[in-house]
Amino acid sequence: MLNKKNIRKLTELVGGEDYLVCTKIPLYTFSYDASQYFGNPDAVVFPTNTEMVSRILKYTKESGIRVVPRGAGTCLSGGAIASNGGIIIAMNKMNKILDINPANKTIFVEAGVTNKQIQNAVESHGLIYAPDPASMNVSTIGGNIAENAGGMRGVKYGCTKDHVLGIEVVLPSGEIIRTGQLMGHNDQIDLTYLLCGSEGTLGVVTKALLSLTPLNSDVVTMTAIFSDLGDAGQCVADIFASGVVPTTMEIMDNTLIRAVEDYTKLGLPKEAAALLLIEVDGYPSEVQGQVPKITEIFKKNNAVSYDIAKNENERQALWKARRSANGALGKLKPSMIVQDVVVPLDRLAMMLKNVSKIADKYGITIAQLAHAGDGNLHPHLLYDYRIPKDVEMVEHACDEIFREALAQGGTLSGEHGIGLEKIKYMPVAFNEASIKFMKSVKEAFDPDNLLNADKVLP
Amino acid sequence: MDNNAMLETILKCNRCGTCQDVCPTYQVSGDEFSVARGRLRLIRMGLENKLDLNNEPDIDTFINQCLLCKACEVNCPSSVPTAKLISDLRENYTKLKGLPIAKKVLYRGLFSHNHRLIPIRKLTRFYQKSGIQGVLKVAGVFPSINNLIPEMPKFSVKDRLQDIIKNIPNPKKKVAYFLGCSVNQFFSQVGEATINVLQANSYSVTVPELLCCGAPHQSSGDIEEFKRLAKYNLEKLSGLEVDAIIVDCSTCGSILKEYDELFKDDLKYKEIAEIVKNKVVDISVFLLEWGYKINPNNDNKMKVTFHDPCHGVRGLKVKDAPREILKKIPGIELIEMKEADMCCGGAGSYSIFHPKISRKVLERKLNNFNDTNTSVLVTSCPACMMQLGYGLRNYSIKGEVRHLVEILAEKL
Repeated sequence: MLNKKNIRKLTELVGGEDYLVCTKIPLYTFSYDASQYFGNPDAVVFPTNTEMVSRILKYTKESGIRVVPRGAGTCLSGGAIASNGGIIIAMNKMNKILDINPANKTIFVEAGVTNKQIQNAVESHGLIYAPDPASMNVSTIGGNIAENAGGMRGVKYGCTKDHVLGIEVVLPSGEIIRTGQLMGHNDQIDLTYLLCGSEGTLGVVTKALLSLTPLNSDVVTMTAIFSDLGDAGQCVADIFASGVVPTTMEIMDNTLIRAVEDYTKLGLPKEAAALLLIEVDGYPSEVQGQVPKITEIFKKNNAVSYDIAKNENERQALWKARRSANGALGKLKPSMIVQDVVVPLDRLAMMLKNVSKIADKYGITIAQLAHAGDGNLHPHLLYDYRIPKDVEMVEHACDEIFREALAQGGTLSGEHGIGLEKIKYMPVAFNEASIKFMKSVKEAFDPDNLLNADKVLP
Repeated sequence: MDNNAMLETILKCNRCGTCQDVCPTYQVSGDEFSVARGRLRLIRMGLENKLDLNNEPDIDTFINQCLLCKACEVNCPSSVPTAKLISDLRENYTKLKGLPIAKKVLYRGLFSHNHRLIPIRKLTRFYQKSGIQGVLKVAGVFPSINNLIPEMPKFSVKDRLQDIIKNIPNPKKKVAYFLGCSVNQFFSQVGEATINVLQANSYSVTVPELLCCGAPHQSSGDIEEFKRLAKYNLEKLSGLEVDAIIVDCSTCGSILKEYDELFKDDLKYKEIAEIVKNKVVDISVFLLEWGYKINPNNDNKMKVTFHDPCHGVRGLKVKDAPREILKKIPGIELIEMKEADMCCGGAGSYSIFHPKISRKVLERKLNNFNDTNTSVLVTSCPACMMQLGYGLRNYSIKGEVRHLVEILAEKL
């Protein structure tokens, strides 16, 4: 718990009461993210510049106060939860775009800028910021970096770490460091990639230099319907094997199709076992060559039918449907755990089928969504937290999905992070030496174990 | 909704955070307690008995800071009706504690008896015209309230009905015009324009004697009074032999269309409410469907933009009709503003009770208007007109706020 002196000092450090929350009721609204975890912070501070973040972290280190960094609070693995009290350092009010350089295709932003803000700011230059997690309309770039967020374009364009050129980070000691291209030269040990995906356990990102990607002139968006989930998975593997690299390959299973259709009313096929959403982009000649190849593979894998979006409105509607998937499942059951396992592409079809079997075995609803192009599966386990049997079955099912993914040569998390949720599986996924080394890295950055402690590492 | 039903509804929120993108109070504050997700969290804790919603002064503040603009509802992938939940909660609160005194005076005292607004208009007009306003301004009394109030018209619409209403031989359609309190008293030029446009297009107009639609009472949770007003209005409206009930106030219109929900447990009134609901139509939609004329020779050049009232775009679900009309008027260029459908912060009397956050929401709207470089901000709700007009005056922004029908009336 914080005492009055702590609160007074923190208030002074952030520049007044408007930038600090320390009363009971509003604090409850910082007790969650988009995961199933809850925890009340003792205070929330809203710094507005890097020096403030630095002074806050110096002070929390001196006073032994725990700190949890938070962006928009859309983490799916509990990363933004103050699971053991302490303060939340909310970065969403540090939200200025500092520079756009269309010639160099870069943008320099503060960490609280949302992904959408960036997309809107660069659109008029014919550019995009490639990583596009489903939460992009609200999630902050600091959070995206902390989780190494992926997105639907990830198949072709990669994840956040592939587009971060350099970052400014405040260490748990309060020291400010800059990495990568923000250092201006390349003869360095580049810490960017170590920090990207470190889930706020090593430092607080305050600024980022990001690379932008030209918006391709031609885009074709297709959907294919399958009566078997495995066929959809195999279709994805075959497309990839054929040499075509689509921007996006997303699979939705029947449960998801129905939930999303309820909200969007697009006329999605509510009876279908699977819907595959594919987008290709590039120069017209490139795209036109890819489309027939893909439709050929649809047919080979028993697609019931397929369709090509006729205009931008139809295309946007499909994307809205896909982005709303996570939220739309809320109406089915009050609680949800979203898994984030990754398997090699040639095991995708089998993994999708095995997850369905696991759902049957434990008698629970699992809605399956997959960034199929990267072999990244998002089984959504739906349950009611008030029914003890439900909770128990879901836990068993989670365990089995992880074991299955590891057995297929896969891994725990593609993009949602370990957070609180997957800690217990870390010793299964990594050997002792690996975990020990990760711990020594954590210790080098944060010897007092105050920054997002209890997360990621067992 | 009873408590159990409320809890089940709230549990559909899985905290995905989509509402942050569209919630005006979150967009201007960045505070989690000012977004649907946060408000739902607090309500949920109350329903789970982890918080006493009725005895936490803070709770009232945070929950009542909602503008009820419904932007979160239409964008919620789980379709959680946050505005409805908050209205229900206010209803319970009002039942238990009664209305705060200021709201009681304003809503039950004034809007419930709309003739009582007459002396308000006259006094205010006297104040504005007599020079006292100038004196008080200089003296620094009432520093900002002055600008909130639009210039009061000399006569209400009702004062002038006898002169305006004409006998239309062989009318194309017979319509009733629902004359709302604000239009009648504060924006009488809008009411006159509506009647003139309808009559000029060969629609015969009757203006029934009605009470306030009940919007202020509903939003503050005074359901008892809301029902009394609704019953009176329904009885009058259902007795009319007309083809349509025309509204030029989006708020009145969407509230009239919610009467059936209000009487869902009262078969008699529910039935009447459904009949009335089907006849209520926004003037822009009515004109587009049944036809209207525009003088092709009157093609003064004008750049305009359109602000969607919450009760228009999400209440009446009117989005395209006013734009189609504007685009077809010779000389008018319609330039879309960013976030056209985001609340202006007026929200009825919200700006009076939550001045700080209301101002921030307004500033955002004004910036978006400024970016369009247009000179006319067109809308279709008197509450928005009051808020936006105040904004233009207070921030010395060039331009004017006009109702769509005012523009149409000029182009007859």
